[in-house]
Parts: sequence; structure tokens; C-alpha cells
Amino acid sequence: MRRFLTFLISIFLLSAVVFYMSRLAPGDPLVSYYGDRVEKMSPAEREWAEEKLGLDDPLSIQYIRWLENVFHGDFGISYKYKMDVLEVIRGRIGNTLILGGVGFLLIFVFSLLLGIFCAWHEDRMIDRVICKAGTIISCIPEFWLSLVLILVFSVNLQWLPSGGAYTIGREGDAGDRIWHLILPMIIVVINHLWYYAYMIRNKLLEEVRADYVLLARSKGLKKRNIMFRHCLQNIIPSYLSIMAISVPHILGGTYIIETVFSYPGLGTLSYESARYQDYNLLMVLCIMSGILVIVCNMIAQTINERIDPRVKMNELVCTMDITSEITGVAGMPDAADTAEVTRV
Amino acid sequence: MTEQFEVVGIRQIPSEKQEKKNRWHEGKPVLSGGLLMLIVAGCLFCNLIMTKDPSYLDFQHYNIAPDREFLFGTDMMGRDIFSMVWYGGRISLFIGIVSTVISTMIAVVFGAVSGSAPAWADTLLMRLTEILLSIPGLLMVIFVQAILGKASVLSISFVIGITSWMSIAKIIRTEVRQIRNSEYVIASKCMGGSFFYILWRHLTPNFVSSIMFMVVMNVRSAIVAESTLSFMGIGLPVEIISWGSMMSLAENALLTNSWWLILIPGTFLIVTLLCITNLGNYLRKNVNRRERNI
Repeated sequence: MRRFLTFLISIFLLSAVVFYMSRLAPGDPLVSYYGDRVEKMSPAEREWAEEKLGLDDPLSIQYIRWLENVFHGDFGISYKYKMDVLEVIRGRIGNTLILGGVGFLLIFVFSLLLGIFCAWHEDRMIDRVICKAGTIISCIPEFWLSLVLILVFSVNLQWLPSGGAYTIGREGDAGDRIWHLILPMIIVVINHLWYYAYMIRNKLLEEVRADYVLLARSKGLKKRNIMFRHCLQNIIPSYLSIMAISVPHILGGTYIIETVFSYPGLGTLSYESARYQDYNLLMVLCIMSGILVIVCNMIAQTINERIDPRVKMNELVCTMDITSEITGVAGMPDAADTAEVTRV
Repeated sequence: MTEQFEVVGIRQIPSEKQEKKNRWHEGKPVLSGGLLMLIVAGCLFCNLIMTKDPSYLDFQHYNIAPDREFLFGTDMMGRDIFSMVWYGGRISLFIGIVSTVISTMIAVVFGAVSGSAPAWADTLLMRLTEILLSIPGLLMVIFVQAILGKASVLSISFVIGITSWMSIAKIIRTEVRQIRNSEYVIASKCMGGSFFYILWRHLTPNFVSSIMFMVVMNVRSAIVAESTLSFMGIGLPVEIISWGSMMSLAENALLTNSWWLILIPGTFLIVTLLCITNLGNYLRKNVNRRERNI
């Protein structure tokens, strides 16, 4: 109950801050509604247009009106697409969910496997090579990696399409969609893979040095048994909670990639809406990612409390510490668009 | 238990005398350090290296592949890539350093205030940092920048700086909480030392080593952030040359298949980032590695 209340309050604060921030920022929302015609408008026409969109009232009145409408289930229209905001989002959200969701699953599985593999072969040639390669890859900005892959695979070899979610005219074709997903998906996975695999590796190495492992060995248990039945079991819960926190990171990470591939998803949408002052759209997108961040944190917290009942409500700290410690560069990989939570 | 007998848990006992005296560069990132020095020096003294004026638009020679005259080729507007890389590196590195200075300053003050504040204020401040920390970084920068509109070198550094101080602040807060009740801090306080005096003279020397790694990594992420922003067209405009803005022409480069426009600035960028990472890893305290039990 208390949690639900905090949840509501944070969402409310978020919406207020985003509202004021985006409207106080320079930029003309009329441009996104009327396009280039704005420049030719007379002052009278402008006034009329502003009144029509409700932009001429003081900010607080605009905000209250917005809140009222939201409680009636009306999120307003997108200035750019001239459609109901929810309609615009509904058309795009599937694409992002596929890219982010499948990407998340792949990262989850592969990083676990890679991490275990490296820990198993600690300090051998193969582990060192993978570690070096991982460091190098984690240095490459994702947009550059996408550019290079496009350059190689679609411009020169012409194997894969360079952008979009489907070939025009073949919207319903699942195979075609998968075809377009390959490159962005590879980048989503590669980009985050090492980050989590390295974490698994380090945690396992720590675990392997614990005393119970020595005991198990002296009892005659097989190495493989100890590794998978005991060590792995100990780190899986914390891995789960970290992965829960990183859902917004990974979903957010698709944003930049979406822009490079001009993939019609929420990423391109929120980028456009922030760029062209499409207020109503921006509000809904920000609140959606805010909800995502908060919900994921709550899930992580629940997992932590289950593992260790000593961890109570106010100790989300520990998981956060782990993430920042292990990833080294906290908050380094890309992101969700809740820029404005900054001011909450 | 029919398996053969095996001795577990034996480990080598370190021998008393060292076999060979370590040479000075043992374990130090010589290669990365050297490369980084080379790049930084090249960018600082770019006037001596540049073969052309980096901002001169040579419309007769546009979009040519690397050859003898234009070592790295030219871009769509006829600018010489070789000169641009060195000249643009200046701005990229500048942004990396300035924004790190900004974020470190915020982090030091914030962390120290939070660390020496009463418990309730500390909880409040830390809750705030956690919220910020859970929001991933780069798009946060992108959105602040998109809302602010037009960008200059300083405004970009500022935006990156104010969005990347959280993790350092958390570390500082923990360290400060540990040492704030030591005798020398209390003594200094009793003798009338002001907050900033204590922070500078007594607290900072104690936590500087633990944040060093994060600070270096912040330089790296700031450079990445700048180049991503510029690439997406909301960072530096094309006229201001940086590694990021050089690649904002990449969309066109893809159409004409001019690989040098993408690969060359990118390679410079990545080599720099890699060197910085290696240096950062070196600065990270070496944890005592124990023998594994398995």
C-alpha cells in the first residue's frame, strides 16, 4: 500500500516536472503542428492557433487542464501526427517491445553462458582473449558500431537491409520483419553483453574463492557440480535483481539504435517529440518510461527482500551499488527518456 | 566414492626472495599511455601536423578517397579529414575534460554535504541520487540537450556534466561518512574550520584515490556522449569540428559508400576511449587475488 502511494506520488511529480520543463524550454510547438506554414502566419492567425491548441493560458492552468483530461482517459493529440497520442504510440510500441524484449532475453541468456564460460576458464588464454575483446567492444559507441555494420553488411555485401522495420508493401510478412531485425538486434546484444557477462564472471570468481567450495571439494564433489549447483545458485538471485534494474537500460539502449536504423519504434518517436516540442506525446512517453523505471526497481527490491529479509524498503542502495561497482561506469550505457526525473 | 584420490586446496607458497627485480614498466599500461599521449599531443599541436585548413571548403576535391594529397580523404564538403581529425580531437577531448570537471565538482560537494548531513537529510539526498542513477545516462543527456535546443561546446559540456555526477557522489558520501567522526575532522571543526576548508584539506585527500577510477571513466563516457549527440544532429553543428560532428555526415557517406568518413574518425575515437579505459583500470585499486578453491 505504502509502495503504491510512493509510486503514484513519483509519477505525479514526474508529470509535473516534465510538463513545466518542456514548456519553459525554447522552441515553438506550432511548428510541429503546422510545419513550415508557421513562418508565414500573421500575428492574428498565430493567436488563433495558440488559442485552439490551448497554449495561451498560464502554465499552471494548462497543467491542471491536462491532469483533468488524463483522469478522463484523454491524453490529448500529438501535434505532429494529429492523432490521439495513444494511437500514435500503439502503432510503434510493438516494434520497440520486440527489439528490446527479444534483445533482453538474448542478453540474459548469453551473458550468463559467457560469464560462466570465462569463470570456468579463468586466466587461461581463452578467458584473457574474451576479456580483452570485451573491453574493446564495450568501448565502441553503439552508433558507430551500427554504422560500420550497415556499411559492411548492407552497403557493400548487400545481405541485410539498412533500416526500417519492413519493406514497404510487405507489412504483414513476419519473415521480412525478422530480416530487418537482425542488424539492430545484433547491436543491442553486443552492446550490453559484455557488461553483464563480466559481472557474472567476477561474481563467480568471488564465489569460487569461498570456503564452502573447499569443503565441497574435499568431500569429493565434482568441479562441475560445485560450479553449477552451488556457486551459480548463490549468484543467480542477485543477477536477477540486477537484470530487473537494467530493463529500462536495455530498452532505452534501443533508442539510439532505432534512430540510426530509422526503425519505427518508441525511440525515434520520443526523440522526435522532444525535438519538435510535441508536448502531449512527450508527456506520455516520459511517464511511460518513468513507470517502467519505477516498476523495475520495485521488482528488483522484491527479489532482494526475498533473498535477504534484512534488506528492507529503504535499502535499494545495495543493488545499485553492485551495478555501479561492477559495470564500472554507472549509467554509462544509454537510456530511457526520463531526463526530467532529474528535477524530481 | 570410487574415484581416485585427489588432493584439494593446496596452493603455492610464495617464495621468499624475488627472482628478478621488476622493471619499471611492469604492469603499467605503457602502450595505452603512450598512444594516448600521442593523440593528445597531436591534437594540442595540431597546427604543426595539419596539411590543410580543416574548415576550408574545397569544392573541387569533395568526397575523394584517401590518396597522397589528402591522406585520409575528404568529406562531402571538401574538407580534409586528416586535418579535421586532429583539429576535432581537440574539441572532443576538451568536452570530455570540462564535463568531467563539472560533474566531479558537483559530486564532491553533493557527496560531502550528504555525508556530513544528519541522517534524515542524508537519506533524502541519497534517495534522490538513486532515482537519478536508475535513469540511464546517455538519453538523459540527449533529452536535456534536445529541449535546450542549439548547442555550443560549453553548453554540451555543461549538460553532460550535470547528468553524470551521481555515482561519484555516492562513493564520496560513503567515504565521508566513514571519516567524518575522526579526531582530526572534529578537531578542525572545533578550531573553526569552515565546511569547504574541511572538505578540501581533510576529506578530499582521503577519498581522492577511490574516485579516481570513476573520474577517468567519466571522461570516457563524456566523449562518447558528445559524439553520439553530435552524430544524431543535436550536438555540435557540422561547422564545429569534433569527432562526433565529423560522423554526423555518415548518413550520406553510407549512400556513397565512402568508408573513410566513418572509419577514420571512429577509429581515432575508439583508440582514445580504449586507452582511457586501460588507464582507468590501472588506477583501480588492485584487489588482492586469492587462489581459487575449485
